Amino acid sequence: MIHYHPDNNMLLEYASGSLSWAQSLAVSAHIHFCPQCAAQMKMLNNVGGNLLSASAPVASVEREDSAIFGDLMQRIEARENEEHEEPAVPAKAVRERTSRDPAFAAVPPVVKKLLAQNPVLKWRRLSKGLKEARLKTGQNELEVSFHRIAPGSKVAEHDHRGKEITLVLYGSFSDGEGVYSTGDFLVREPGQVHRPTATQDQECLCLSVVEAPVALTGLLGRMMNPFLSLKPQ
Amino acid sequence: MAVNYINRGSAATVQASEKTRDDEWSNLLVRVGRERDRASFEQLFSHFAPLIRGFQFSRGGQSSAPEAADELIQEVMFRVWTKAPTFNPGKASASTWVFTIMRNCRIDALRRNSRQPVTDESLSVEDIWDDSQDEQPLVFLQQSRNQSAIAQGLQSLPPEQSHVIEKAYVEGKSHSEISEELGLPLGTVKSRVRLALKKLQSTLVR
Ligand SMILES: [Zn+2]
Repeated sequence: MIHYHPDNNMLLEYASGSLSWAQSLAVSAHIHFCPQCAAQMKMLNNVGGNLLSASAPVASVEREDSAIFGDLMQRIEARENEEHEEPAVPAKAVRERTSRDPAFAAVPPVVKKLLAQNPVLKWRRLSKGLKEARLKTGQNELEVSFHRIAPGSKVAEHDHRGKEITLVLYGSFSDGEGVYSTGDFLVREPGQVHRPTATQDQECLCLSVVEAPVALTGLLGRMMNPFLSLKPQ
Repeated sequence: MAVNYINRGSAATVQASEKTRDDEWSNLLVRVGRERDRASFEQLFSHFAPLIRGFQFSRGGQSSAPEAADELIQEVMFRVWTKAPTFNPGKASASTWVFTIMRNCRIDALRRNSRQPVTDESLSVEDIWDDSQDEQPLVFLQQSRNQSAIAQGLQSLPPEQSHVIEKAYVEGKSHSEISEELGLPLGTVKSRVRLALKKLQSTLVR
């Protein structure tokens, strides 16, 4: 049962296309787990459809629509001829290092695609019981990474440099404010201190997206990790 | 020329005819998908091209250049043709489906123009804005009712709420961009959006 969702504001930005790429990725993965947000998306797309059909039609200025349509049909024909002539190139076999890992077995399709682009995950130990693997997404303003918390581990208390989104992909964890399990979507504002603990008998895998201006100030913990500012225990 | 039924007095009548017409566009789309029927496709093109152009012109700035709008029309309608076999009228109306394709084209265009190069290994816009996730199609009638319920809901929104909704969808602005532009606190923009959605939600058939 999912208890934590992206709010309506974030869903609307996702539906209208103004939410950042990486945050949209996390929302998309959440929707895969969450029928409630999938239903909400249906409504939000509906709003877009209504606004489109209610928009004031504008006749062509530069070229006649019939000329544009002609070009379009040519493009479509050219494309269809290509498809007939060239046999489809077999898709490059994806090395799935993570395929036997139970934590990755049931991740949403968009996360599978992300894994296909990052066939080798480089796990780094951030603190006792917490590992991180950064992902390439073709975007720099936001860090996208996987986090794994070993069963029963308590992560060092930390706060966040930028707004952080965490989506639980496998297992569950808790902090002072609640228990989060598969599919739960959390938003932490910068400065919110928390101390996650994984469930006793199972490790926890999360996808996280952080607004990540790298600032190397202060504590040793911050130097080793721009994403978490670890407080010495 | 403009059939802008939002905030119009005779809204109910216009809306009723819009609804039947939307069903008509859905039928055409189904035909394009199943039979690759070019005549149906041309009808869809004649209907949607001016709407897409109108939508795009409302954005202002560079995107209101006629060439940019024509390019968008061609790209959207190209994808409409290609994806038509996957169109399911129980999941979305024709205009909603075309809207999502247009949104994706805009996101693609924004990415191409951004400083960060789109590398081959990047996810595609369809990977993230994945409409196949919606696995629970409604019966066609219910889907069609919801569509007109929302049309009606949009008309009854207070102007300050419909204004932010239009800015978000038509102009493609984020909440913080809207707050900057209108000189309103971010919290105000967010609460207007939330109130508007709550109202629209209440119109839906369950
Ligand atoms: Zn949800």
